[in-house]
Amino acid sequence: MDYTNNQLHIIYGDATFGVNGKDFQYIFSYERGGLESLKVHGKEWLYRVPTPTFWRATTDNDRGSGFNLKAAQWLGADMFTKCTDIHLKVDGHDFAELPIAPFNNKFSNHEYAKSAEISFTYQTLTTPATNAKIIYNIDDVGHIKVTMRYYGKKGLPPLPVIGIRLIMPTAATGFDYEGLSGETYPDRMAGAKEGKFHIDGLPVTEYLVPQENGMHMQTKKLTINRETTQNNVDRTNEKFSLSIQQAEKPFNFSCLPYTAEELENATHIEELPLVRRTVLVIAGAVRGVGGIDSWGTDVESAYHINPELDHEFSFILN
Amino acid sequence: MQANINWLDNPEVFRVNQLPAHSDHPFFRDYREWQKQHSSYQQSLNGKWKFHFSANPMDRPQDFYQRDFDSSNFDSIPVPSEIELSNYTQNQYINVLFPWEGKIFRRPAYALDPNDHEEGSFSKGADNTVGSYLKRFDLSSALIGKDVHIKFEGVEQAMYVWLNGHFVGYAEDSFTPSEFDLTPYIQDKDNLLAVEVFKHSTASWLEDQDMFRFSGIFRSVELLGIPATHLMDMDLKPRVADNYQDGIFNLKLHFIGKKAGSFHLLVKDIKGHTLLEKNEDIKENVQINNEKFENVHLWNNHDPYLYQLLIEVYDEQQNLLELIPFQFGFRRIEISPEKVVLLNGKRLIINGVNRHEWDAKRGRSITMSDMTTDINTFKENNINAVRTCHYPNQIPWYYLCDQNGIYVMAENNLESHGTWQKMGKIEPSDNVPGSIPQWKEAVIDRARNNYETFKNHTSILFWSLGNESYAGDNIIAMNEFYKSHDDTRLVHYEGVVHRPELKDKISDVESCMYLPPKKVEEYLQNDPPKPFMECEYMHDMGNSDGGMGSYIKLLDKYPQYFGGFIWDFIDQALLVHDEISGHDVLRYGGDFDDRHSDYEFSGDGLMFADRTPKPAMQEVRYYYGLHK
Repeated sequence: MDYTNNQLHIIYGDATFGVNGKDFQYIFSYERGGLESLKVHGKEWLYRVPTPTFWRATTDNDRGSGFNLKAAQWLGADMFTKCTDIHLKVDGHDFAELPIAPFNNKFSNHEYAKSAEISFTYQTLTTPATNAKIIYNIDDVGHIKVTMRYYGKKGLPPLPVIGIRLIMPTAATGFDYEGLSGETYPDRMAGAKEGKFHIDGLPVTEYLVPQENGMHMQTKKLTINRETTQNNVDRTNEKFSLSIQQAEKPFNFSCLPYTAEELENATHIEELPLVRRTVLVIAGAVRGVGGIDSWGTDVESAYHINPELDHEFSFILN
Repeated sequence: MQANINWLDNPEVFRVNQLPAHSDHPFFRDYREWQKQHSSYQQSLNGKWKFHFSANPMDRPQDFYQRDFDSSNFDSIPVPSEIELSNYTQNQYINVLFPWEGKIFRRPAYALDPNDHEEGSFSKGADNTVGSYLKRFDLSSALIGKDVHIKFEGVEQAMYVWLNGHFVGYAEDSFTPSEFDLTPYIQDKDNLLAVEVFKHSTASWLEDQDMFRFSGIFRSVELLGIPATHLMDMDLKPRVADNYQDGIFNLKLHFIGKKAGSFHLLVKDIKGHTLLEKNEDIKENVQINNEKFENVHLWNNHDPYLYQLLIEVYDEQQNLLELIPFQFGFRRIEISPEKVVLLNGKRLIINGVNRHEWDAKRGRSITMSDMTTDINTFKENNINAVRTCHYPNQIPWYYLCDQNGIYVMAENNLESHGTWQKMGKIEPSDNVPGSIPQWKEAVIDRARNNYETFKNHTSILFWSLGNESYAGDNIIAMNEFYKSHDDTRLVHYEGVVHRPELKDKISDVESCMYLPPKKVEEYLQNDPPKPFMECEYMHDMGNSDGGMGSYIKLLDKYPQYFGGFIWDFIDQALLVHDEISGHDVLRYGGDFDDRHSDYEFSGDGLMFADRTPKPAMQEVRYYYGLHK
């Protein structure tokens, strides 16, 4: 098939929405509630669908100030995701219903478009509940702008983080980013230098008790490098990469081999599982780490995330 | 005199037959030895010693110090080292509460009842482990025929010493040198030194520091051959004149032994120019008063300029007996009428850290390499000051601070928070030292040991009375000790915040710990009666050190704020082999089945325990670089 005409090849599947182009293939799953496959140059980048993330492995200061007790509902909301609505738009056309059978019987294998937008609404497992929406906007060359919109609601507990978690099938060999040196947080950025940085592997900062670590604030671009896949016919072991670029504003990220829950559950570094995947968190809002004391004083209020306000952030996958 | 185990229970007995604390100056046979940094007057006893461990005093081999004792079943242990780290007894980390919490009920002697001696509290303590150390040695040729002293640089926590079956002395105060005269019992060959080390004594109430609780001979031990006439103590007071340009040199010398002959004294600058030269006859006490040095090169963090003092001691036949080299700087610390702390007439800002002595493999038995690494880390990260929390450090550390311009808050070995902080509440009903007469001399002795040993170090700008020990008459007495001995430094103590009515008697500066920036500002806005500092702030446990800018901003707004010491420099964690993962891993409190514990609270450092910096270090380097 010829994809040189800057057109997206659209597959209106029975359970998925497929978007193909030159050197890429995306599958959005109506069943799994998200982007199931992000295949670029023949390499799969997703292990499971990306989900909103609301938890960070609590820091010593989080526990000392009792933040973990106040925020605990977000741990459940982070682990378990409830997708309540999916909305599709192709070349500006709003589908009132998802185009599955019998509606999709009218389509063929020759459906093309210049753009597509699919959004997934997730209801948080909190009391009260609120919604978070992840919107994927795909342009004619296959770049995906990902936007997450969090809807604030009165009465929600304080938030550890607002982000999107992408889990990749194998461990990255390293990553390169353009942003701030070292591990940074909103209340700990002053000492960082701006520049381009290369990181080997997926280092976990070895705090005595594993906890939130590895955040990089104010990033313009991130490239993740892998060499391995889970594909049984792919044994090439050559480096391949995925880039994430800022949209309107720089983004924040951590790129680790573990989820927040895996970190949270370990009392020592050596209890963490063997490194086998890449867990990328793109965070729109990051809570500070604090440091006045570790037994009662909260992070300074300027570095809290207000759960009652709306938050929105974007980035571009290409 | 015979040793008495009941001294362990008696707060009024803390040193027996110990030589008076004195300055830590080195002494060499001649210039060649100085150049080689090896004094033939010093014989190290470090190395393998015979060792027997007992779970409690009742089980200990009581007569192990006798010459005919059969020690063939003794093990061996390295000196210096921590007994726990040779796996004789459990590692335990605990912060505020005492290590016997939940196991033994104890109260400090005389704390609740002036007649209650609490006899047997430690001498019969089921948790009071005992290390029985034996060392056989011959005197090196340079020591034969001389008076011989033995110096223990650090022993936790109470020790009895015998030589060749004779009782020599007893010491507490784990973190300052204990020196005894062995001369009456010394032989040229085949001496048998016996040291009995108890983990607990009444000193345990005063040494309740937030740390792994170790015991043993954990710093170096050496013999000192004392020349016929010997400079035992010197008290160097280099002052800066009111014009902040000229130096005023004062020196007191105290000789022991024959006290005959003469000494030749020189002060040279870095280029080798002689600025002062004196030849005088030796008397027991000699004073050199108010020698004026014009336009001295002042000492500070950026320019730690040191002058070289040399004292050559000669006998009556003009033979050189010993050479004492010592480097010192001219610097002046004071508080202005506006309550600003000034160093050499300029505002002083402390970009400091608290530093426990720590090595992930050796515990508090740290090495020279640990110390030089730490100094380099300070310099790389704009750290200009250290608080020796909460005990005096190894002697070389103070020399390194002199040479590298690190401002030192030299803290006494004192922390008794378990006697007044109960689950976060202030409850001082059994507080020691408090105002209890029987505890007064013990804490004054700690002040004296700290002062006399380190008094000549230019880097020390503050004496600190200790940490978190509440406040009463005995802390006042410590403050008075420093005030009556040293008008060239400031005195610091934080714990008086709990007894504000004593603030005019304790501490030259207002000190708090972990006071949030807004509260600091409240103090500074209300016509502060004293300059303000945070002796501990930015608690660096785990992923932390956020919000430091809120403190640093106050430095620009309020000249009375002179900075603080981050808590703290290095995680306390032990490197152990994990059989499950096969890796060497860092373990913290509670990881040794030790209970009651405060778990990961042992790790609050800017550095991991293996001395790699935590990510937050770049933030510290930045903020501490703003007021260099």
